[in-house]
Amino acid sequence: MRISSMKYLVGQGVKNIWTNRVMSFASFCVLTVSLLLVGFSLLATMNINRFVSGIENRNEVILYLDDNITDEAIAEIDGVLKSTENVSSVVFYSKEQAWEDEKAKYENADEIFAYFEESPLPDAFRIKISDVSKMRRTITAIDARFASQGYIINIKSPDDFASILTSLKSTIAIISSAIIIALAIVSMVIISNATRASVFARSREINIMKYVGATNTFIRIPFFVEGMLTGAVAGIVSSVATWLVYEKIIDILYQENNLWKALGMGEFIPYDTIWLKVSLAYVIVGIVFGAIGTAASTRKHLKV
Amino acid sequence: MVEFENVSVTYENGVDALNNVSLKIKDGEFAFVVGASGAGKSTLIKLILKEVSATSGNVIVNGFKLNKLKQRKIPYLRRTIGVVFQDFRLIPNMTVYDNIAYVLRVIDAPQKYIRSRVPKVIALVGLQDKLKCYPRELSGGEQQRVALARALVNDPALIIADEPTGNIDPELSFQIVRLLKEINNCGTTVLMVTHEQELVEYFGGRTIAMKNGSVVFDQILPGENTEEEYYAN
Repeated sequence: MRISSMKYLVGQGVKNIWTNRVMSFASFCVLTVSLLLVGFSLLATMNINRFVSGIENRNEVILYLDDNITDEAIAEIDGVLKSTENVSSVVFYSKEQAWEDEKAKYENADEIFAYFEESPLPDAFRIKISDVSKMRRTITAIDARFASQGYIINIKSPDDFASILTSLKSTIAIISSAIIIALAIVSMVIISNATRASVFARSREINIMKYVGATNTFIRIPFFVEGMLTGAVAGIVSSVATWLVYEKIIDILYQENNLWKALGMGEFIPYDTIWLKVSLAYVIVGIVFGAIGTAASTRKHLKV
Repeated sequence: MVEFENVSVTYENGVDALNNVSLKIKDGEFAFVVGASGAGKSTLIKLILKEVSATSGNVIVNGFKLNKLKQRKIPYLRRTIGVVFQDFRLIPNMTVYDNIAYVLRVIDAPQKYIRSRVPKVIALVGLQDKLKCYPRELSGGEQQRVALARALVNDPALIIADEPTGNIDPELSFQIVRLLKEINNCGTTVLMVTHEQELVEYFGGRTIAMKNGSVVFDQILPGENTEEEYYAN
């Protein structure tokens, strides 16, 4: 195809948006609403996952050490823990530190604990686990590693917390994917109906084009351009709308009632860290939805 | 050239639209197809344009064997045929220029050729000052002349005019047929479907009459009436 023909067809697509502005506007609205529905569901899921990860990070496993342990043994354990898979942080908590912290809880600690000449508490390692669903396995491995030396006298781990969090995460994943898939399907159906109506209004025009010997591709290109442009604009509008609404929601939750912080739910994903990804996703999905919608709906009318 | 060999068409609803029609229209011929509605005239045109397929028999149009023609090849058949419809069928949101140029754009003609060819054809039908008008701004007769220019622009081997005078007044009808005759004189085959007996009687020539899906009459009639008699009718 000549460049001049291609230019003509693309130009026709752009022109058609204005010529059929009522229908274009309807398609644009449907696309925007669909994009926003799917977009906000995704953002909500991303944030929920972040909160859950925040909670997950608060997990702490404490390894209590034998009273007679040597500094070399402590160093050895520290090295092993740091190189253990699924352990995200390792902090040595000395018996002195533990004793100071304990005494700090009481106003008249010196009186109460006057009989203690030195710390009655054991040395300990405080470690954090990256993936709590594998917490038990990791702890068992650590325990087995030092079983023969007898360095570790006890391990305190939040197993209930781990299992609740693990099932919470999988439930969230299932529910949110179901919602997003359902919304995406509903959106596709609505979009293809909207474009079908728009194309139907022009079925006579398509018919005439077929009579003068236009190929299906030649007829379709302007429709594609039209669908893609409408989709792109819907994507841009959706990104701006999402940005405004998202920031507003955070504002309300953070400031006005201070509810969010009172609930200790952790921080939202700041929009400026994700805006580019979100906007690109909106525009690309808008273009794809727009193009697929028109392609699907022109098909029927091309059979003349 | 158009050739029908024992062609029958039965629609899905069981209606027999054509019964064993055999017909040959040679290159450069002008033929009227007449008959009451339901006689099979429209089916004949739909067959030529490959809008419907023959249930039995063979149809050959401009060298295309339509029984074997694949769906994706249909546009190439249609590019060899110019069609003028009773209801004009101009694209409403395109100007006169664009409606005519569209046919050339479809065949990927160079921009330069389109720019020189369209004004020539529109001048042939006398509408050179209406190039920028939209169809809705034109009278019925003008729209039909645009449709005729569109049918001509591509220099097709065959022009089919389906009741081209059905929606315009008698004087303009006369002009349209005369234009078609002139086009025919330049070597283009013309097949004109009409139910206006007066036009056929005035112009004369090969006349194919159809009834109940069959050809009942196929002869060359002499042009009898004068122009005055035509208007009087």
